[in-house]
Amino acid sequence: MADTEHSPAPPSLRKVAFSPRSWTRLASFAFSLLTLAFLCSMVGLFAWQSLPVWKQEGIGYVTGEKWYFRQQEFGALAMIYGTFVVSLVALLLAAPVGVASALFTVEILPAHLRLLVKATVELLAGVPSVVYGLLGILFLRNWIYIGLERFDLLSGDTLLTAGILLGIMILPTVMTLSDDALVGVASAQRLAARALGLTRAETGIFVGLAQSWRGILTALLLAMGRALGETIAVFLVVGRRDNALPENFFSLQALIEAGQTLTSKLGG
Amino acid sequence: MQFRSLPFHFNRIGRISFALSIATAFLAATAFLANGHCDTLRINGSTTVNPPAAEAAEILRSEKGMQIEVDTQGGSSGGISMLGDGLVQIGMASKQVSEADRAKYPKVDFREIQVGEDAVALVVSKDVWDAGVRSISQKQMRAVYEGRIKNWKDLGGADKRIAFFNKEPGRGTWEVFAHWLYGDSKKAPPVSFLEVGGNEEARNKVASTRGALAQLSSSWADGKRVFSLSITLEDGSIISPTNKNIATHRYPMSRPLFLLTNGDPKAEAKTFVEFLLSERGQALVRKHGYLSLDQLRE
Repeated sequence: MADTEHSPAPPSLRKVAFSPRSWTRLASFAFSLLTLAFLCSMVGLFAWQSLPVWKQEGIGYVTGEKWYFRQQEFGALAMIYGTFVVSLVALLLAAPVGVASALFTVEILPAHLRLLVKATVELLAGVPSVVYGLLGILFLRNWIYIGLERFDLLSGDTLLTAGILLGIMILPTVMTLSDDALVGVASAQRLAARALGLTRAETGIFVGLAQSWRGILTALLLAMGRALGETIAVFLVVGRRDNALPENFFSLQALIEAGQTLTSKLGG
Repeated sequence: MQFRSLPFHFNRIGRISFALSIATAFLAATAFLANGHCDTLRINGSTTVNPPAAEAAEILRSEKGMQIEVDTQGGSSGGISMLGDGLVQIGMASKQVSEADRAKYPKVDFREIQVGEDAVALVVSKDVWDAGVRSISQKQMRAVYEGRIKNWKDLGGADKRIAFFNKEPGRGTWEVFAHWLYGDSKKAPPVSFLEVGGNEEARNKVASTRGALAQLSSSWADGKRVFSLSITLEDGSIISPTNKNIATHRYPMSRPLFLLTNGDPKAEAKTFVEFLLSERGQALVRKHGYLSLDQLRE
C-alpha cells in the first residue's frame, strides 16, 4: 500500500524542524500556535488591564475582607473563600461517584452497554448551565431548605446548595474522562491479574485504578476547572451575599449560610 | 524515493479541513452581516415595565409584522446603560434617569416617556402575614435595613429571623426604596444581605422562604404567595398600596414607568411608543396591574 503521507522527507528538508509537506501539518501547526497565542494574549491583556487595581489596592485586594463598592472598599477574600468552598464541595461529591461509576462501566458492563451509558452521560454534560440553575431554584433550594430545617436556615440559598448543584454538573465530566482513563489500561494487564487469581474488584482497583490514576487526576482537574468557572448556576442559588466570611475558615456553619463567589459577583 | 513537483501535496484531510474552514468563515461572515440588520427594534430594561412592553411587542409583531426584541438584562440601569451605549433603541426604566447617568453619556439625549405608574411594596411570605405583620413604618424599615432589627418578633410577628432579600442596587425598585428610606439612594449605608435580581426572582424566593421580606413592584404581590405590607406613616395612618393611594401619591413609594429613547423616537421606536401610549397600550398597562396615565390624572 503506497502510503504517500508517511514516506521519508527528501534529504534537503530532513534537518529542518518544520517541513510543510502537507496541508494537514501546516494547518495543525498554525492552529496550535494560534491557540497558544490567544491564551497568552488573553492572560497578558488581563494582567495589563488590571494594573490600575493592583496599583491602587495592592495585595489588600485579595486579602481584604470587606467589599463595599459604593464606599470604594474592595476586598475579595470573601468571594475567593466562596469559590473555594463551593468547588471543594462539588469535587467531594462528584469525584467518588464519578470514578466509581467509571469503574462500573469499564469493569462490569459489557462493551455495548458501556458505550450507551457513556453516551447518555456525555449528553448530560451538554445541558446548558442555566437549566441546572433553574432546576436548582425550583427543586434543590427547597429540598435543602426543608431537609436542613433543624439547622434553622435563613433561606435555601447557601454555599452548600451551590456546591451540590455544581457537583451534579461536573459529575458527567468526571465520569466520562475517568472512563477514558480506565479503558486506556492495557487489557493484557487485566488478563494477567485475573490469571493470577485476583477477583474482579481487586483487578478493578489494584490494576485499573492504580495504572490510570494520572488520567483520573486529569479528569478531576478538568472538572475542577469547570466548577471554578461556572457562573450562572451558582449565581442563581448561592444567595449573593457579600462579606459572608466566617471567623473560622473551616466552620461548617458557613456552608448553610448564603455567600458569594468570584463568578457570581462577575455575573450580576 | 518519490518525485514531487510541488512542496505541498493535497492529502484528503488537508483538503477537507481547508474546505470546512472556508465554509465556516463564510457562514460566520453571513451571520455577522445579517445581525447588523437595522430593522429589528431592540428594547431592554426594567423587569417591571417588561410585562406590558413584551405584550405590546407581541401584538405589534403579529399585526404589523415588526421585528422586536424585548429583554431584561440588568434591570432599569441595564436599560439606561444599553441605551447610552447605543445597543438598544428603547430602554425601559422604573426610575428616573439620574444626573450621574446623563453625565456618563454626554452625547445621549435621554428622553423619558412615561407610560404608567407603579409602586414599590415591601412583600412578605405567607407565614409572616399570617402571624399578624401587616404594616411597617419607615423607621422600622430603616432599622431592618441597617441590621438593628433582626427578628420578626420586634415587628409584631413570630419569633423568626428576618430573611431580607435585598434588591440589587441599580434596580429601579431598589432606588425607589432607598430614596424613600434615605432621601437619596447614594446615602444608603453599605449592607450585606442576600440579593435578588428581577421581580420574578424576588417573588419566587420570598414565596419559598419563611420569614422573608423583599422589595417588589406592588402589582407583582398576588396576595396568595407573597403579601404586600402597608406603610405606617408618621401620623399613624396606615396606607396600603392600592391603586387609589398610588395615584394620589399618598403611598410614598410610587414611581413612574418610563420608556427611554435617545432624542425623539423615530421609525419603529415611534410606532412602539405611540402604541403603548394609545388606548390599547394603556389597557395593557392596566392589565398587568400598573396604573395607566389617565388613572393618574384622576
